[in-house]
Amino acid sequence: MAERPGIALFQCQWCLFSPTDQDWVDNHLPNNIYLTKTPCTGRINPLYVLNAVQGGADGVMISGCLPEQCHFVTGNITARRQLEEFNDFLNHIGYEKQRVRFVWLDLQDRGMIQKELAAFEEELKNLGRAANLVTRMKVAEGEQNA
Amino acid sequence: MNFILEKQALPDLLQTWRANFDVYLPQNLERFTHFMPLAAEGVTVINEPHNTRIPPKALFLPMTETLVKFTRFGGYENAKHEIEPRIVFALRPCDAQAVQLLDTSFLQVKYSDPFWLERREKTITVALGCHEPCDNGFCTTVGYGPFNKADLDAMLTDLGDFYLVETFSEAAETCFNGFANASETICVQALEVQQRAHDQMPVAFETENLKEKLEQNFSSNYWDKVSLSCLGCGVCTFLCPTCFCFDIVDETQRRERVRNWDSCMFRTYSLEASGHNPRPSRVERTRQRLSHKYVYWLDQVNQIGCTGCGRCVRYCPVGLDIRSMLRQAQSLPFEVSHAS
Amino acid sequence: MPDIEAIKSEAKRLLSEGMVEVMLAFKAGETPLHPQPAFFRTPDDVDELVYSSLNQNNLATYLTRLPKESKVSMVVRGCENRSVNALVVEKQKSRDNLYLIGVPCEGILDWRKIVAKAGEAVKSVNESEQEVMVESRSGYYLVERKELLHDSCMRCSHPNPVSADILIGEPLAESDSNLAREAVEEFEALSVKERYAWFRKEAERCIRCYACREACPMCYCTECFVDHIEPRWTESGATPAGMQAWHIVRAFHQTGRCTSCGACERACPMDIKMTYLTEKLNHDMKEKYNFETGLDAQTKPPFATVTLDDKNRFMV
Repeated sequence: MAERPGIALFQCQWCLFSPTDQDWVDNHLPNNIYLTKTPCTGRINPLYVLNAVQGGADGVMISGCLPEQCHFVTGNITARRQLEEFNDFLNHIGYEKQRVRFVWLDLQDRGMIQKELAAFEEELKNLGRAANLVTRMKVAEGEQNA
Repeated sequence: MNFILEKQALPDLLQTWRANFDVYLPQNLERFTHFMPLAAEGVTVINEPHNTRIPPKALFLPMTETLVKFTRFGGYENAKHEIEPRIVFALRPCDAQAVQLLDTSFLQVKYSDPFWLERREKTITVALGCHEPCDNGFCTTVGYGPFNKADLDAMLTDLGDFYLVETFSEAAETCFNGFANASETICVQALEVQQRAHDQMPVAFETENLKEKLEQNFSSNYWDKVSLSCLGCGVCTFLCPTCFCFDIVDETQRRERVRNWDSCMFRTYSLEASGHNPRPSRVERTRQRLSHKYVYWLDQVNQIGCTGCGRCVRYCPVGLDIRSMLRQAQSLPFEVSHAS
Repeated sequence: MPDIEAIKSEAKRLLSEGMVEVMLAFKAGETPLHPQPAFFRTPDDVDELVYSSLNQNNLATYLTRLPKESKVSMVVRGCENRSVNALVVEKQKSRDNLYLIGVPCEGILDWRKIVAKAGEAVKSVNESEQEVMVESRSGYYLVERKELLHDSCMRCSHPNPVSADILIGEPLAESDSNLAREAVEEFEALSVKERYAWFRKEAERCIRCYACREACPMCYCTECFVDHIEPRWTESGATPAGMQAWHIVRAFHQTGRCTSCGACERACPMDIKMTYLTEKLNHDMKEKYNFETGLDAQTKPPFATVTLDDKNRFMV
């Protein structure tokens, strides 16, 4: 695979406690990672994930806080129930389960997000390009519709 | 011109057409029939007494069709659809009649729909008459019939081992070139079959003064009664061969302006930007659907806008029946208007 | 079959005593295959009431369309009763305003299967416990009941109403609840590619008439996500993206709310299979949270209840 796999990253704005990490995510993400910052993982509607999947993301990563560390007390647990089930459901209709990954970060962690993204990217490289459920035409910057 | 077409010769004929045309004919899909392009082999002609589930209007007005493509920097161009010359084979006379009814809307003197026009011009319709009555149809009731010839290029009548082919246009004649001409006796025989089929169709309701009755009882509680159990889905309108409402939306991700089928039974159909909905409930929407077919279409082109194919009766999830609705309408009070 | 006269006399009693304003049940339709849902408001109306295995709709779908405070009585089967319970849990209707006449259900006959067996122009359908006699244009057909049952009814594990106010007829044996699980497991045994091919084949037949949505008692949102303009969640045409998104999200929104009644599938004009999606979600809810929809009118569905207790499962 010549290109790097495309990753849609949904990040809870509270989960990266370290300013260095947050700065890296905000300003220095590689081009193949598309960031969506949310106020809490609880805000991530399964439709967001579906949109990323249909739009051709090779993988979806959701990073949030650990249980009991949620800024909004239960947002992350709600999200986990829903999104985990949504992942199972997508798998049921033919989207590989490994393509959706949850990263639950401890507020004490430093530099975890880079490592996790690198590991995820490595796994996605082995899986290859996503084909199933990719139904929306990709419109790359400055390109004609593919 | 009248030809005789042996049933055995039909598969070969269809394959010969395939050289110059896209041939569409009803084929089995799951548990129903659907108009699909003819494959290279292994196709049987289905002559069961029922209709395809999706009416052939979908061949002229696709469910989703791109009208305009946008470019990144504000420009746009009209979409081009490559439409090959095609033959629609074995469509039923009710559906062919419906396409003619839709012409009155899409091909008006001042404005005509270019996509519809192109598809119509490039299509030869070869109908298969219904020698056996279908289950829920009521074509004779609304003034058409199982061998209704409006807007056809050719029609087939099943006479046992062979079909009698009646052609009504030159294009269709060339399609059947080389087949034996039918004798007088066979034509008479076919007429009998057609007459018998016509007589077998039951009269589902009286159409006399129906228009006045529906029109004058616009605010009657009759509409509440008939729409009571309506779910508000779009089955009746989407499967109706004469329903043609569409909705134009911009698919911004694909940079396209798209035309989709729409249905007057949906809440969003008449919802205005202000939030006001002139047809707020299923009562008004049911009234619109029935009145469009049995009142407004008569006002506009003096034809009933229903061809009696029976799809809405058969597939309504709650068993609502337009025939019984109109039968009930017959007992509504009305006054004869002297205007006409 | 339950005693229809008993249902009628109970319904008449309720209406004449003024205990309820409206009685939800079926009346005979124009064609023998399609009984119609009906709203009976006077005791005399009730004479039209019919009960047969051809009653294909889930009547609970009308509950949210009636005024919230109105007192309603319904003839409910197992699945309908569970749907009512689910609606009560979601506070769409107060249980005090409902009077449920329960009927043990022997399964709904799929009219499409009847037509496939007996051919066009069905004139009458007579059923007994084991067999169904169909008269059509081409003659008489005696078919085993099992062969004509709707797919979701074959997997049904709760045919008896769970919280009816009065039960008419003898309760049936609760059948093996493994059938639904086996169906899910059988599907999951296919490869990812095959599963997607199946999903695609089914979803892309969709004409987006939303009959599944309207037939479903749990689909009562005033504005469905597909009708949103801003934000536009998905393409609104019959495009692969739009059709697939509709089927995914419609099913997913039913997580922990679907009672596997199969009304969506029966309403579909394109014979699209949909229960294999909701069965999976129901299966997961049962496995993960030991939750089955509508078994009582108090337990909230898993997505509405979060506890810190289940955190460990997510530590991946």
